[in-house]
Amino acid sequence: MSILEEISGALQQGRAPKVKELVAQAIGEGLQPKAILEDGLIAGMTVIGEKFKINEVFVPEVLIAARAMNAGIAELKPHLSQDDMKAKGKIVIGTVKGDLHDIGKNLVKLMMEGRGLTVVDLGVDISAEEFVEAAVENEADIICCSALLTTTMGEMQNVVELRNSKGLDGKVKIMIGGAPITQVYCDHIGADGYTADAASAADMALAFCG
Amino acid sequence: MTNRERFIKALRREPLTGLVPTFELVFYLTMEAIGKVHPSQRIFSQWDQMSAKEKEVQFADMADTYILTAEKYSHSAIFVHPNPSDFDSTIRILESIREKTDDEYFLMMHGDPTFSIPDGHRMMEFTTRMYEKPDELKKSAENRLAISIEFAEKMSAYPGLLDGFALCSDYCFNVNPFFSPAMFEEFIAPYLARVIDAYRSMGYYTIKHTDGNIMPIAGQMVDCKPDAIHSLDPQGGVSLTEMRRLYSDKVALIGNVNCGLLQTGSEEECRADVLRSLKEGMAGYGYVFSTSNCAYTGLALERYEMMIDLWRQFGVYT
Repeated sequence: MSILEEISGALQQGRAPKVKELVAQAIGEGLQPKAILEDGLIAGMTVIGEKFKINEVFVPEVLIAARAMNAGIAELKPHLSQDDMKAKGKIVIGTVKGDLHDIGKNLVKLMMEGRGLTVVDLGVDISAEEFVEAAVENEADIICCSALLTTTMGEMQNVVELRNSKGLDGKVKIMIGGAPITQVYCDHIGADGYTADAASAADMALAFCG
Repeated sequence: MTNRERFIKALRREPLTGLVPTFELVFYLTMEAIGKVHPSQRIFSQWDQMSAKEKEVQFADMADTYILTAEKYSHSAIFVHPNPSDFDSTIRILESIREKTDDEYFLMMHGDPTFSIPDGHRMMEFTTRMYEKPDELKKSAENRLAISIEFAEKMSAYPGLLDGFALCSDYCFNVNPFFSPAMFEEFIAPYLARVIDAYRSMGYYTIKHTDGNIMPIAGQMVDCKPDAIHSLDPQGGVSLTEMRRLYSDKVALIGNVNCGLLQTGSEEECRADVLRSLKEGMAGYGYVFSTSNCAYTGLALERYEMMIDLWRQFGVYT
């Protein structure tokens, strides 16, 4: 087994100290930092995401793997060049106005970061104006809106309409998700994408940014 | 037969004639429905300053709110959310409902010591404890269990007031449970089984609620022996027919009317969903008709009333 496979495996098991140790070893052996990031750490999180989608792993296993990834990245960061660290895309994410639930949003954020995307977390109770302003300010590729309540999901339509009115519809995609959200609703409001789970959201975001 | 007796028959999965029982974990739309603020929405900033007489009026008004709601929608059970929530106030609101309605309704309140899905800020910390300090987490679970049992023991000194506990810790997302089946077996099931057993030994019924896709852990939940499982969340892909096939010989089933659809669907879609739930639920006994969560703030009252109208027409055991 190569050391990159070892890093990926340890990450999947959530073994943060081991991941950190293996990353240091890989650096010492002269492996390219970008390869360690892509083929070790991100590869491991990708496997976790795939397993999550088919109920082979559950949220705590995702969280503990993400913690291991962060430990690996902390070790790797001083060795990464600006080019190595260039994100695959930039996302602004938040829970819509009137809704204070953050579990789903945080999971999506974690999955996206695990796949090499940069995520700006706006928090909860975020208005359409705040979403769009943050997207412009951060030069984001995607706005991700989360809602748990049927009574707050209507704000997603406001985000779509505001983005369109600002002429950003060809530039900034909008992804939506949350317990009451469906593909039908996504189509109805003119959002660009909906996924049922956090790992699929990361897949879709990567596809949009590619 | 009283509504309470009908509800208990459903929990026991015994044969029933007439309307299948119905209730809601919470019916928040009281202001619109009966002109009264829901008790859990009331803020008594000067409660301790009130005279005993005024407190009594407040308890009576809250009791009326529960009773009028149950009467209007023919609920068989009332989920009481004591406010204030101290023990004496809890006893008093239960007494007030009993004084006004005797044993007409099944009365329940919260009583779940098990861990639920932690919120977004606590998820990582909770997960880390599961992995790195499992014994500490189990000690915390034990403490929570002890508090719930102690409360029930105090309550049992007042026989005839409370009929059961609703155990409302949420375990599941739409796509899957937060806890893996192995984690559920280690950190949840032992405590769930013990609290249910303790409640039962004191004569209390138990209704285990959780939203989301329960299927990967449904068998474990049933093995903890609650009298009923509530929500059967269609947004989480839970099929009432499948739950009935797998578990209706062991547990009563409650819910499954898609509460999200009630808000967002067309009238035709909602009507079809209500009729589907009734048909699937009433394929046997041991079923209580309800939404898959509650009549929540913001839900259009006319949609709930449409649901109840359909229940009155089609929710009848022949």
